[in-house]
Amino acid sequence: MGEHSGGRGDSAGDKAREEFFSEAQEIVDGLSRDLLALDEVCRRGGSDAELVNDVFRAVHTLKGLSGLFGAAMMSGLSHELENLLDDLRLGRIELTPQVLDLLFQSVELYGRILSAAKGDGPEPAAEVKALLAALGQVAQQKGGGGGSVVAQYELDPGLLGVLTEYEEHRLRTNLQAGLSLYRMRVQFQLATIDSALDELKAKTRPHGEIITFLPTGEGGDAESVELEILVASREGLSVLGAAVAAPNVSIEEVRRRDAAPSAHDSMRPPRPSASEMPPAPLPSFDLEPGTDDALGMLSEADDYTEGTRTSRPPPPNQTGVPGVHQSVPPAPSAPPVGSGGAQAQREQQQRELTLRSVTQTVRVDIRKLDHLMNIVGELAIVRSAVSRLTERVRLHETLMRGKGGAAGQPHDGELRELATSLTRLHRSFERHLAQMQNGILEVRMVPLGQVFDKLARIVRQISREHDKQVNLVVTGAETEIDKLIVEELSDPLMHMIRNAIDHGIEDRDERMHVQKPAVGTIALNAFQKGNHVVIEVEDDGKGMDPAVILTAALKRGLVTEAEAREMSTKDVLALVFRHGFTTRPSATSLSGRGVGMDIVQTNIAKLGGVVDITSEVGIGTKMTITLPITLAIISVLIVEVAGRTFCMPLASVEEAIVFDESMVRTFDGREVMTQRGATLPIARLSKVFQLEGHRAGVWFNEDAKTPKPPEVRPFAGPNARPKSYVVIATVADRRVGFVVDRLVGQQDIVIKALGRSLKKVRGFAGATELGDQRVGLVIDAAALIAEVLATVPVGEASRLQPAGMSGEVAVVRRSIDAPESGMRGGAERGDVFGGGGGFA
Amino acid sequence: MQRADELGKRAEYLAFTLGSEAYAIEIGSIVEILKPLPITEVPRADPDVVGVMSVRGRLVAVLDLKRRFKLARTFTMDRKSRILLVDAVDEEIGLLVDEVLQVFRLSEAEIEPPTVLGTEQPPHVVGIGRPQGGAVLMLLDLAPLFAE
Repeated sequence: MGEHSGGRGDSAGDKAREEFFSEAQEIVDGLSRDLLALDEVCRRGGSDAELVNDVFRAVHTLKGLSGLFGAAMMSGLSHELENLLDDLRLGRIELTPQVLDLLFQSVELYGRILSAAKGDGPEPAAEVKALLAALGQVAQQKGGGGGSVVAQYELDPGLLGVLTEYEEHRLRTNLQAGLSLYRMRVQFQLATIDSALDELKAKTRPHGEIITFLPTGEGGDAESVELEILVASREGLSVLGAAVAAPNVSIEEVRRRDAAPSAHDSMRPPRPSASEMPPAPLPSFDLEPGTDDALGMLSEADDYTEGTRTSRPPPPNQTGVPGVHQSVPPAPSAPPVGSGGAQAQREQQQRELTLRSVTQTVRVDIRKLDHLMNIVGELAIVRSAVSRLTERVRLHETLMRGKGGAAGQPHDGELRELATSLTRLHRSFERHLAQMQNGILEVRMVPLGQVFDKLARIVRQISREHDKQVNLVVTGAETEIDKLIVEELSDPLMHMIRNAIDHGIEDRDERMHVQKPAVGTIALNAFQKGNHVVIEVEDDGKGMDPAVILTAALKRGLVTEAEAREMSTKDVLALVFRHGFTTRPSATSLSGRGVGMDIVQTNIAKLGGVVDITSEVGIGTKMTITLPITLAIISVLIVEVAGRTFCMPLASVEEAIVFDESMVRTFDGREVMTQRGATLPIARLSKVFQLEGHRAGVWFNEDAKTPKPPEVRPFAGPNARPKSYVVIATVADRRVGFVVDRLVGQQDIVIKALGRSLKKVRGFAGATELGDQRVGLVIDAAALIAEVLATVPVGEASRLQPAGMSGEVAVVRRSIDAPESGMRGGAERGDVFGGGGGFA
Repeated sequence: MQRADELGKRAEYLAFTLGSEAYAIEIGSIVEILKPLPITEVPRADPDVVGVMSVRGRLVAVLDLKRRFKLARTFTMDRKSRILLVDAVDEEIGLLVDEVLQVFRLSEAEIEPPTVLGTEQPPHVVGIGRPQGGAVLMLLDLAPLFAE
């Protein structure tokens, strides 16, 4: 594994291409987040010019990038999207749910184009074509409505009606760009109206743009006429008023219908009592770069550290002025699009921002981190060896001192000094190594928000397909977890969410009928709990009815009548994780094929986690995933069973106690003991792994010159053992005591995956080097616990068990020269613990 | 280890023994020949899996070809035993063999089709090598062995 990580001299082109992929992916992710926020804003009936601008910017950057890398499909798509977004930005078309759909589709397609470019899946050529056509259609409709921004202002519809298209466009553009709108009423003498109007225009121009002027039809007489002049300006009323002040001029701000303070005031950077002071005339771009800058950096930080925008719709820190977004919905902090110069400057600035974002973070191939992790792991092994040596030197020194007085060794003092220095050095080494481990681990950590964002998109899509209204409420998106785990989480979580929408959330009428809010809620909560991360998916749907599940399971032959009678509610709910389970008579496009939940459990188990379900009929279902924070370095308890060494992840070890055979009771063929007043199921690891009475686990010593004879340990029954231990393992709320022969010690190890050919062997999370060139297998506590607790009867265990994976065969193949018949005999024993078939 | 980069008319095969029989595989698929390292057994693994070992930090599963080919029921290892590290699907795998003999350069004329042994041959047997000097080698293709 280590070899792959060194980067085998990638050519510069490849590197740049990879950079392109990851940068594009990052932009697409950001795009997705912005769209979700936009969707949220729209659903609440608002609009957010700044978000539209963000989206536009993202697409614009993508277009540039893809052009650079000759990604024709992507650049074509970006080009059309850019046009659409430009129309949106300028208010030429409205942000309807249909348009949003198209935008979401484009995010999906970007993802697939990127995967295809990386050689993962076909290029979505047909879909892109369809989307381009749809985008074209939307573009056709532009110009018509368009008044979404304008309509928010208290403008006379009559006035709007007589605006020329150009004037309307300028009005919209200016409002969209966040300028304030002023209405001037000016009395002009008919004789001098031309020059007076020119004079007024000249006065106004430095401060804003005259949109239109129209006779009001009132206040005039034979000699004069009153004109109403609409001015869009970046400046406050007082500034503009002062500029045009004259006895014949009255000026007022055209307010928005919905907001009391003008957008203009809220635009100001936070400065004390901005509202009391007459705002100083700022050069129009002076404010913008500042805002924009802050925005760019903030969202940069946002992307990296939290990505929680889905959970709180209007990202308050986007403008850099906390709270502004909430009070004035369409916070117009967009720059002046009016003047070409400002726009050019703005684009220049964007480019700078993009460049900066590249230099501020470093994208690293996860394999490189794995490589570093491996090295740290090797160092940890060295540390253990040094630790042992140090211990030996100290022991030696103590011994020497003990008899030193008599023998009068000359090197006494030297040895003591050596021991002390070595100890000190070792401690320092240990500390720095721990820091390094933590540092690398930290780098590998990413917020769960990365995968949650994807889920928000899926919720939106599925609920629309299903015509159910679902609100996704996310908490704890900032919870961090190993990058590798995040990658593997999206599929299981997606299945869970699909299930929640498809099976959990009722449709609108049904919800009304049972007096639930029409809009269903799915809560996605994440939090850290000790060494684990817990993710909950909770819906307020109809819940899971154990009776229905049991009927379905019986019908599909997953359980027998007899078993069904003995199952607890929890056991019944867990049936949904069985392969082939579905309550649906036929599959829908979303779920019901009987695959899904079993995949969820398998995938989560691969990550060393467990899934639990609680559900109440009529109230909802909660699925809880418990995962280790990282896969790479773990602390383990090293135990010995029948001469073999195994590592038990300490994260799942509650405690280890001395085992007393007399504590064991047998219930229903299961061994249990009482520990602290509670029943604890126990499992003998030697039995679970079928190790009894056979040879030691390591076949040869280092030099292989003298093959070790098979070390046979006669198994004389449990009572013959002098002492053994129970290691109590817990994952989530499941506990099992594993009986082992010896506790060897505790060690930090780098866990490595077993290769492809051993992946299917159940019960092991991986393996590690234990320091003396020996490999120690790391027990998958979650899987073993599930296996031990599984209520799979003997017959089924053997049926479910894939050929060639039988634990019973393992018994015999370890016995030297065992006759072939013995193999069969072993297989027929049908031990509940042995097969490994119970856990799925 | 040199690789058969120039696969001309002659191909290079590494010959080894499993019990009393001689086998050979194309040298290109062999990464390394290792002396036995400590191998840790993996409970519940397939019967022909000896266990797992660490080769410079990488975990490598070790297969016993004798068990795979049903030539023996047990593992035997002695000072002549070697582990051939070979490229398999997505990983490297160690093959436990009894003894490594030598590298043979076989011309096409020196290779007989597997059908000389009978019509029904397992897919991993690709031919019989008859190099000069009288040795008879069963030529193996590794891909079918790992193809499950």
